Amino acid sequence: MATGIKDYAARSREIIREDPGVRESVTGATIAFDEKRRQGYAEVDADAWRRWAEGVKNHTLTHLDRYLAEAEEQLQANGAQVHWAADAAEAREIVTGLAVRHGVRSVVKGKSMVTEEIDLNPVLEAAGIEVFETDLGEYILQLLEEPPSHILGPALHKSLEQVQELFADRLDTARDGDPDTLARAAREVLRGAFIHADMGITGANFLVAETGTVALIENEGNIRLTTSLPRVHVAVVGIEKLLPRMTDLAGFLQLTARAATGQPIGCFVSLIQGPAADPGDDGPEEVHVVLVDNGRTDVLAHEHAWEALRCVRCGACLNACPVYRQTGGHAYGYVYSGPIGSVLDPGLLGLHEAMPLPFASSLCGACEDACPVRIPIPELLLEWRREAQEEGLTPWKERAALAGLASVATRPGLYRLAGKIGSRLGATGAARVLPMLGEWSKDRALPKPSPRTFRDLWREGIE
Amino acid sequence: MSVESRERILARVAKATASRAGLPHPGALVTPVTDDPEAAFVKRFTSSGGEVVEAGPGRERSAWLTRLLRGLDPEVVGVAVGPEVPPEFRPRLPEVAAAHAGAGISVAWAAVAESGSLILPSTGTRAVQLLPPVHVVWVPRGRVYGRLEDALRELRRNLSAGVGLHSGPSKSADIGRTVVTGVHGPGRCMAVVGSYAPTGTSET
Repeated sequence: MATGIKDYAARSREIIREDPGVRESVTGATIAFDEKRRQGYAEVDADAWRRWAEGVKNHTLTHLDRYLAEAEEQLQANGAQVHWAADAAEAREIVTGLAVRHGVRSVVKGKSMVTEEIDLNPVLEAAGIEVFETDLGEYILQLLEEPPSHILGPALHKSLEQVQELFADRLDTARDGDPDTLARAAREVLRGAFIHADMGITGANFLVAETGTVALIENEGNIRLTTSLPRVHVAVVGIEKLLPRMTDLAGFLQLTARAATGQPIGCFVSLIQGPAADPGDDGPEEVHVVLVDNGRTDVLAHEHAWEALRCVRCGACLNACPVYRQTGGHAYGYVYSGPIGSVLDPGLLGLHEAMPLPFASSLCGACEDACPVRIPIPELLLEWRREAQEEGLTPWKERAALAGLASVATRPGLYRLAGKIGSRLGATGAARVLPMLGEWSKDRALPKPSPRTFRDLWREGIE
Repeated sequence: MSVESRERILARVAKATASRAGLPHPGALVTPVTDDPEAAFVKRFTSSGGEVVEAGPGRERSAWLTRLLRGLDPEVVGVAVGPEVPPEFRPRLPEVAAAHAGAGISVAWAAVAESGSLILPSTGTRAVQLLPPVHVVWVPRGRVYGRLEDALRELRRNLSAGVGLHSGPSKSADIGRTVVTGVHGPGRCMAVVGSYAPTGTSET
């Protein structure tokens, strides 16, 4: 699929230069989220919980065919219908086909990264179906026709003033409306949408094989409404979302919430087994679960990158990342941004398509420390960089410069000479003479070289 | 096409994992057990913005609930009540559709101390649990689990089509990072503890 990843560097520069409010909003929000995560982890034995979660996910991923088959069997036994989509096009076709078959005119959606990934909304709209994003942040972005910029807080790059302007124009609220007033205005519109929608579409945080349970975590209640009021519910689920048992879910519900927002659990958790079956249950008449591959089996087959499939989409790595904080998610050009996007996207899309994301990191390791399932993100970034180098995907100037550096560094005489020249030229002079250094120094301040080389200092007897 | 894709995906998964050793399940997550689940539930639920009320030992629960709801909103004209709520636990107020009700009344299957959650089966009407601005939930006496894992283990045998775990009011901080409540679901979630005994069980 076409992405904007290639423009990462240019878009980052543009956001920082043209829209400094983004950096301010994103930095403020992610620091607050990260602090809450730390508090949430501090209340439990977080290291033990994270090791356990890593173990459960590794077990599941190494037995994934077995658990997928078990989940399908249980879902069908519960009365749900299961569909399999090899790629985004097939997933879109399945969901749109269901909507057309049921005469759907209006859809309410819960926040779902996988439906962003498969670019579902435009296809539904092209079929004449009205689509309402019901998560408050997603609703703001739908009005703005923007994609989400963060897994958890899709509109966290928007300031209060920007939302005030938007709602004043679109929902006729006061230009200085407070958040409570603005939220009430959105609720009014969306309440009508919930009541009249024919179909609810969600993703899933987890799919429990043992019981065929689609589990969804949220705080607003919009997902509970999306899965409850419309007559048809469609859950679009990545195949890596499996958990073996209901008792595993107990740990993952709590750990995911702690990693995401520091809460002990989301305010609302929906456990969907199938269509309404009992007297008194006003839930949907049909439940469909669409299991999506779309590159996940390629990630699973990769010797190292398969570990990224443990991701529970909590956003903790984005919140901890000093690089993400500068630009927010839009710079990355794809639905999965930040550290996890930089290791997942090359596997899902192919390394060529995902360049230069593996290089969009300082390798500080904060992401790995925050990750509730201990994905070794810095290690995976290095692995993708190594592969990019091997496949000749890095810029030719950089390849030539690194080859030159290797040549100089392995010849003592040449290295001595280069050191002397470098110390005389200084940082600016070196950047002017060496093409790769010039490129590298466009976005960075070069360190000032010592006036004397290490060899000179060594000869003088430093310790 | 979906059948072909199923076979293709499962074959690709099998091939992708064939050269990798199957890793063992680490077993249960060990979390602390509380001595007093009800007190721990109250602490956790209220810290997430939920409210806990005690109906007291009397048998006039219906009158008590009516007073509670009138106290919350003197103008309240109608409530939505789940079919699972026994007559003696229903308020003496007109029952209306959930979309127009001032409050929804439900009975939880159980509560959980560890997460501060009310577990609500879909045999109670979901609209009642979600649409009114206030949700009042009777928590059965003796049904407060200490650990979420223990509750879900038991729940496996009682799974309705769409179970909800409610752990506080509906909230969002998507606008200006300011927390607002009652965004889509109820802005107030109230658990009534200590007095609900399901019909057919003995009162103490």
